[in-house]
Amino acid sequence: RSNVENDRAIGLFAASVQELLVIDDLLFLMVGIEGKYIHVKQGRLKDTSMVFQMDSSMDLSLCELTKRVLPLCENYIIVSQFTETRSHFKYGLVNHAFAAALRAILQDYHAMVAQLEHQFRLARLSLQGLWFFCQPMMGAMQALSVVLRRASAKQLSGAAILNLLQSQAAAMAGDNAARSLLQKLAHAASAPYFRMLERWVYEGVIDDPYGEFFIDENKGLQKESLSQDYNATYWQQRYSLRHDIPGFLTSVAETILTTGKYLNAVRECGHTIRIPFSDDVKLTNAGARHQYLDRINIAYNFASAELLNLIINKFDLLARLRSVKHYFLLDQGDFLVHFMDIAKEELVKRPSAVSKEKLQSLLELALRTSVAAADPYHEDLTCNVERLSLVAQLQHILKDRAVFSEPNFLSELLKIDLSSLETASQGTAESLNGLETFTLDYKVRWPLSLVISRKALTKYQLIFRHLFHCKHVERQLCTTWQAHQATRGLGFVGTSMQRSYVLCQQMLHFMQSFEHYMTFEVLEPNWHIMGSKLQSSKSVDEVIQHHDFFLNDCLKKCMVLWPSILKKLEKLKDVCLQYARATQWLIPSLFVPQQNNHDPLSQNGNKSQDVKGFKGTNRLRNAKTQLTLVKTEDSNFKSVIGKMADDFKKELSELLLMLSTGSQTEPCLAHMAQSFQALGQV
Amino acid sequence: QEFSEVTEMALVRDVVYACQGIDGRYIKFDKEIDGYKVNDNLKLPKATKVLIRRLCEVGWLYRRVKEHITESLEQGPMEVIGTVGQAFCAALQEELSDYYRLMAVLEAQLHNPIPFMSTVEGAKGAGNYLSLRRLWVWLAEPLVRMRLMAVLVDDCKSLRGGAMAGAIHMHAQHGDPLVRGFMGSLLRRVCSPLFEMVRKWVLEGEIDDLYGEFFVVPQPVKAEALWREGYQLQTGMLPSFIPEPLAQRILRTGKSINFLRVCCEDQGWATAAADALAAAGTPAGGGGIGYGETETLEALVVEAAARIDRHLIRIIYDQYKFREHCLAIKRYLLLGQGDFIQYLMDLVGPDLSQPANTVSSFKLAGLLESAVRSSNAQYDDSDVLDRLRVRMMPHNEGDRGWDVFSLEYNARDPLTTIFTEFVMARYLRIFNFLWRLRCVDHALSATWQTMKPNCSIARLWASIDGGTKSQLAAVMRRCQTLRNEMNHFVTNLQYYIMFEVLEHSWANFLDEMEEAHDLDELIVAHERYLSSIVEKALLGERSQLLCKTLFTLFDLILRFRGLADRLYENAREVQTRGEIAARRKVKELQASVPYNTGFRKLPTVQLTKELLASMGEEMDVIAAEYSSLLEGFFAQLPVQQHVDLKFLSFRLDFSEFYTRQHMGTSTMHIKLKRTPKF
Repeated sequence: RSNVENDRAIGLFAASVQELLVIDDLLFLMVGIEGKYIHVKQGRLKDTSMVFQMDSSMDLSLCELTKRVLPLCENYIIVSQFTETRSHFKYGLVNHAFAAALRAILQDYHAMVAQLEHQFRLARLSLQGLWFFCQPMMGAMQALSVVLRRASAKQLSGAAILNLLQSQAAAMAGDNAARSLLQKLAHAASAPYFRMLERWVYEGVIDDPYGEFFIDENKGLQKESLSQDYNATYWQQRYSLRHDIPGFLTSVAETILTTGKYLNAVRECGHTIRIPFSDDVKLTNAGARHQYLDRINIAYNFASAELLNLIINKFDLLARLRSVKHYFLLDQGDFLVHFMDIAKEELVKRPSAVSKEKLQSLLELALRTSVAAADPYHEDLTCNVERLSLVAQLQHILKDRAVFSEPNFLSELLKIDLSSLETASQGTAESLNGLETFTLDYKVRWPLSLVISRKALTKYQLIFRHLFHCKHVERQLCTTWQAHQATRGLGFVGTSMQRSYVLCQQMLHFMQSFEHYMTFEVLEPNWHIMGSKLQSSKSVDEVIQHHDFFLNDCLKKCMVLWPSILKKLEKLKDVCLQYARATQWLIPSLFVPQQNNHDPLSQNGNKSQDVKGFKGTNRLRNAKTQLTLVKTEDSNFKSVIGKMADDFKKELSELLLMLSTGSQTEPCLAHMAQSFQALGQV
Repeated sequence: QEFSEVTEMALVRDVVYACQGIDGRYIKFDKEIDGYKVNDNLKLPKATKVLIRRLCEVGWLYRRVKEHITESLEQGPMEVIGTVGQAFCAALQEELSDYYRLMAVLEAQLHNPIPFMSTVEGAKGAGNYLSLRRLWVWLAEPLVRMRLMAVLVDDCKSLRGGAMAGAIHMHAQHGDPLVRGFMGSLLRRVCSPLFEMVRKWVLEGEIDDLYGEFFVVPQPVKAEALWREGYQLQTGMLPSFIPEPLAQRILRTGKSINFLRVCCEDQGWATAAADALAAAGTPAGGGGIGYGETETLEALVVEAAARIDRHLIRIIYDQYKFREHCLAIKRYLLLGQGDFIQYLMDLVGPDLSQPANTVSSFKLAGLLESAVRSSNAQYDDSDVLDRLRVRMMPHNEGDRGWDVFSLEYNARDPLTTIFTEFVMARYLRIFNFLWRLRCVDHALSATWQTMKPNCSIARLWASIDGGTKSQLAAVMRRCQTLRNEMNHFVTNLQYYIMFEVLEHSWANFLDEMEEAHDLDELIVAHERYLSSIVEKALLGERSQLLCKTLFTLFDLILRFRGLADRLYENAREVQTRGEIAARRKVKELQASVPYNTGFRKLPTVQLTKELLASMGEEMDVIAAEYSSLLEGFFAQLPVQQHVDLKFLSFRLDFSEFYTRQHMGTSTMHIKLKRTPKF
């Protein structure tokens, strides 16, 4: 053993000396240092595999025995290399903790080697003894090296390491020692992970310097985007799950994500909160599984209750929604009537000529003089003028598939009509006026923008524009009705007036029952259903979901999402408007004072006269001035009215047909058809 | 065999020495390879050599750490190292003393002989010997620690103060519990001087920073700029574990105390600070906050900031009457006190019409005083009135008094922090604009006063005489319509400035004042108030062109006033002449003396006719210029970004008269409006 001056082959010694020499070499090799008679060569295929070369002159049986110990040495080298490299910063917290746990095992191993040396120095160690003493370590090292080879081959980090350890422990379930070793390692390695989890679940903060946590934060999305972004991506995409979720958390990953998200939202409102119990008990993997799941659930309940409380009580969500309903769903109509009166002249302009500022100040005037002034939030209402008509905008939205990404039936439904809509919208683009493009808008601030996001607001706007235009048509028809009332005493029996009168009533009935259907049979009941659902909801996500459902349901039942029906309705409204326009011009020209009746030129001048002018004529009649029917005008009027009545009837019957065919699948269509029952029989 | 046995013990001894940085008999430090080396003369197995080399790594690392400590503590100047560096070295030193203890233990075991298989009997007592392999077990953990220290020493060599603490903090982001614990205890010691500074700054407003390590840096400035520029955040020295917003808050809290002490000469902050300390639940003795307790620090800072800021705001409001002074400025400099301004304008008007260099500022000061005395302003606080002064701006050749006159409000310390010179200059600009506007308004009213008594006469003449007088009437009528048009514009503009701009901004400012929690917010609120006025009153950067047009319009209106005055003077002359003539006629009739008046009357009539014609023409020129300028003004208005300006245009053109006029051919209109020719 002591022959340091030469490198004689081992075979020259006696077998007992050979054994001592080999043990000495092995003791070196066990801590990764190449010995004198056993050489280490790097494997050719991979860096991790090694080839040991033994002195060929060694005693054969010794040689065999030594070879059995060699895998331990190889495994040691793998483990120690792994431990050294993985504590570098770039490998992440989980790897660091893992390496630290490995180092503790290596320390035990080193101690064992020192013990063996001690025995060796006392001349109590034979090769056979060495083999025996190494047994417990052999198994452990073998199990470890399997894990480490995989980990380093795929450069795993973070949750993947934890998953690997867990699955390996599960795979080794039969081998008790190896399994408990791996579980211990998994526990140690998951400590930093649980620390991150704890901060997220208890405080809503992501403290993840190496990107290992399974929740990803998209810093580019700001909460302010909620009031502009039509897709409302902030809430969905600000925090998202990554692919590598630790196996033991997979089932609760969504809960964890939402818990932290809620806490984060509360934090964004300027409140710092901590879940009270977090100080005394830490989240660890050590306890039984149900223990930390329990904690996560408690944290979830706390967080959702906190955020819900904040939104509903502090930021007064329900009052906000009621306020939005007042304006967008025409819950309190007086402001609208007032507004339509004072903004009439501005609204009939072309959309490009409409002054938004003027409308805004008129709107404020209307708000302040109506019952809406009692609403504390009425100052947040603004107005806007869109570029497109309702139908065109719907189509635009559908192209983007932004607002209505969720209902599938829609895309099915709309594919058919998309092309026909396109042509329709192009035709009307020039003849648009402010009435068709006017819409309200509402300033919503964080955190209410979570619920009333831009997406929800767009849906509100769609309903509002629909209602607003119906209201406008109805008002026009009412004005016509007034014009008719003025002719009552004139003795129109037998003239076209009678017919016009009936038509007017039909149209009014149609419009009013349609509005009645929308407001009383769709919006109000749905609103109440939503209200009671909101009262009982447990989390903000539920609130958002109920609100969305309400809006979608309303949109659907108000026929906004049925393009073919909507188009038909638009047609009908168009006919009504044409009729109203025509009669308001023609009726005054039908009856003229007798002395003037053969002067058709002056009638043209009368065109601009509106109802008020006609009332003047009425007064003339009272003053015993004879009014007579202008025959030529009458026949003209008759033909116009006749044509319109036919149009109306035709469109209406088509609509009813559509409704009745569709009613098989959608009960709401049958509902609507019922309100037109009386009209259908005419 | 002898040789080997001795060598192992000697080698172990050498290795233990090498681990303490001392050269042994066989193992010596080699500078060339920068590491320990076994003497080449020894014939050792390769494996032993490798093991020795591994063991000696500890020694190599130790040398580096020790070197750093010696360099910094003994030789280096304190200015370079700083207190944080000092604390770092002390912490390392302590860590090393643990290491020395281990070495002492090893040293004791060194003398136990290593048993050898031949001496079986030695096995009994010789459990505690050291072999190279045993040493390896012993040194495994010190090696890890020593490595950490060496890495820190390398990384932090060139850093100081907060930057050093930040760098160490970055190293603490490690998943290994050993590393974490080690770095944590190290950082607690390293950061203690920093946290002591923070504590002192937040609670006492003093910087105790001899070597420039703190992240708040004082700047030598005057007292009035103390708040804005006195202290600044040095981001390089901000440790990464203190987030930027927290640092800002720390900065402001200390600044507030400093401000209270230096500028306000207030003592009340001390109780506020003590309250904050008590509320945050940290002991008063200091050292309560340390590394890793960022939340405690934050809580302390938040508490202290809230209390100190509340105190400061109260002092500013109650003791220095910020609100009252703002109101006074609004009333005097922004012409909120109508009767006073009216009176002042009446009083100083004649003086201001003189060339600027002849105006005496003393006389103006006297007039200001009398304006104060004779208006409601006399009931104002004398402190406020004392601060109101007349100021003459530097004048150029040909300037009139109107151009250089302005009022000034003297805000004393500490309010100069808010009303800085720059702010006052902006107030002055607004004042000049408002004064100008008011002056134009005044001129138009004066014109109305001259017109009013003459209009009935003009109507009377129109029916009597077809010649001169009807022409006069036509010119006067033209003059009246033009005045009305101008008046409409000026009144609406004034309405807009007064109600939409000044009052609206003021109301917003009052709200923000209520909500302001600290001086910074107050300053920002005031700044916003001022800039919203400047922006909306067309004085901003973007509306320079518009403002120029507006001033030209004002000049034109003043020119018009001169013309109108001359016209009416003329009219009165004609009238009196007519009266004289009538009286003379009566006299003639009475005296029945034939007296040929036609001789003398004809030329004067001719003269008046010419004069009237020229005046009519001049009026037309002014009217044309006015309408084109106004049109330009309207055209520019919607271009402006600010929504309120759109409201102005919508207001000025409420009946859409100008829009329609603009749509129709403008030349046509001017022709229509032209004074009829005779």
